[in-house]
Amino acid sequence: MELSGDIWIGAPRPKVWEGLNDAEVLVRSIPGCESMEVISPTERAARVMVKVGPVRARFTGHVRMEDIRPGEGCTLHFEGSGGPAGMAKGHSAVDLTDEDGGTRLNYTVQASVGGKLGQVGGRMIDAAAKQMAEQFFTAFNAAVGEVAPATEAGPAAEAPPGPPAPALAAEAIAVPLPAPAAAVPAPRVVRPPAPPAPAPVGEGVRVLWFALGALSTGFGVWIASLLSR
Amino acid sequence: MKAAAFDYVKPRSIDQVISLLQEHGDDARLLAGGQSLLASLNMRLSEPRLLVDLGGLDALRGIGVHGGMLRIGALTTHTEIEGSALVAQHAPLLSAAAPHIAHRAIRNAGTWGGSIAHADAAAEWPTCLLALGGTVVARGPKGERRIAADDFFRGLYATALEPEEVLVAGELPLAAPGNWFAFDELARRRGDYAIVGMALAGRRSAGVLADTRIVLMGVDSTPLRARKTEASLNGKVVDEALAATAAASLRAEIDPLPDLTHSPETKRHLAGVLLQRLLIGARA
Repeated sequence: MELSGDIWIGAPRPKVWEGLNDAEVLVRSIPGCESMEVISPTERAARVMVKVGPVRARFTGHVRMEDIRPGEGCTLHFEGSGGPAGMAKGHSAVDLTDEDGGTRLNYTVQASVGGKLGQVGGRMIDAAAKQMAEQFFTAFNAAVGEVAPATEAGPAAEAPPGPPAPALAAEAIAVPLPAPAAAVPAPRVVRPPAPPAPAPVGEGVRVLWFALGALSTGFGVWIASLLSR
Repeated sequence: MKAAAFDYVKPRSIDQVISLLQEHGDDARLLAGGQSLLASLNMRLSEPRLLVDLGGLDALRGIGVHGGMLRIGALTTHTEIEGSALVAQHAPLLSAAAPHIAHRAIRNAGTWGGSIAHADAAAEWPTCLLALGGTVVARGPKGERRIAADDFFRGLYATALEPEEVLVAGELPLAAPGNWFAFDELARRRGDYAIVGMALAGRRSAGVLADTRIVLMGVDSTPLRARKTEASLNGKVVDEALAATAAASLRAEIDPLPDLTHSPETKRHLAGVLLQRLLIGARA
């Protein structure tokens, strides 16, 4: 699968880069991130609790950073595992450019999914990965952003109507880690809990979920790895 | 794989279900037909501490006409809907869609309410509910409330239901003379999730379309209404040229999410194909 997007962040480029390299910020921004471990200066592992619809599962991910251009971007290689259900791996490129007094962050992800996940097929993986990316950047923006966005663009624009309320989002982020899932919400309303009844149809879904978990982990970790400088 | 250990309760009243949800919050999951939940438990994609089985609540079963609406209880199975004369008479769209839902064994167990609450973007019932302008009936600690389908589906597997609410039924307006419906989906194999599916509903008098609703499944994170294309069809008479124009309009309007095997372009193309087929087919 491929995923790409961009978001405007209300902070100068060095600050964004710094944020991407600050484990604290990342742990708070990655949806459901419970812990992050520094393996080497360019390698990180993270544990993420994914909550999307019926899925509540922990995934572990591994990210390695390459082609590091401080203040500009890097390439991340990630691998996420959801246990027996399957795994996902791939790479992602992140680029930062100046725009409107802030920074535009462009990202692209290419990933492949294996195990049962892959067999069943990833119907909704893309949607899930995209949603988590949006959650991440919304939270990240609230954490490092200092300027109110002049123009909202990119995937985040569809989420909160109007300019995000930074104070509110910051508050959400400030929630201490023990409740990682609760910490994520940011302004975008995503309501994972309690679909009152399970759905009928086929079988593929959960697997995808897991996949997306793996992906998101990878994604998170990747971001983390960004930080390594 | 097998599910992680969990407790199991089968309450005899909806109030008991609601108080269990209040007590256990996120650790409790509601079990209806189990066709999605159990699989996700067995894959260990979800490890709730408590399963609350709704199977003992007979109040959630059955199909009936009340107050000018067709009311389908949450625990009604797909097979029951498929074979219901009331449904065929008052909501023929559902009769057309039911055979597309997975396979017989799944249709025998899976439920109407479960499908809607799960809100899979490629599932038939959420799509039909939206196409028909239906209403979800939810019961929570503060009593019952009704949520229009247009406001119900909020995101990927996310709905307007509160964590402590139970979906008790879905209501649909009764089909009137002059209403028309069409449903079809494209899947790699019969019974698979649709790559793209479509439900159409509207009115027609002397061939002129009005109140057209086009709902796509499998292209976005929720069932998706193609409002621009809907508007472009109203007031027109369907012919080959209109169907082709509408397909082009639909392709321009939507921005499908890819899946592992189908690109956005594939889905965009297929959506147009479906619309053209359904419009031409419904002309008669």
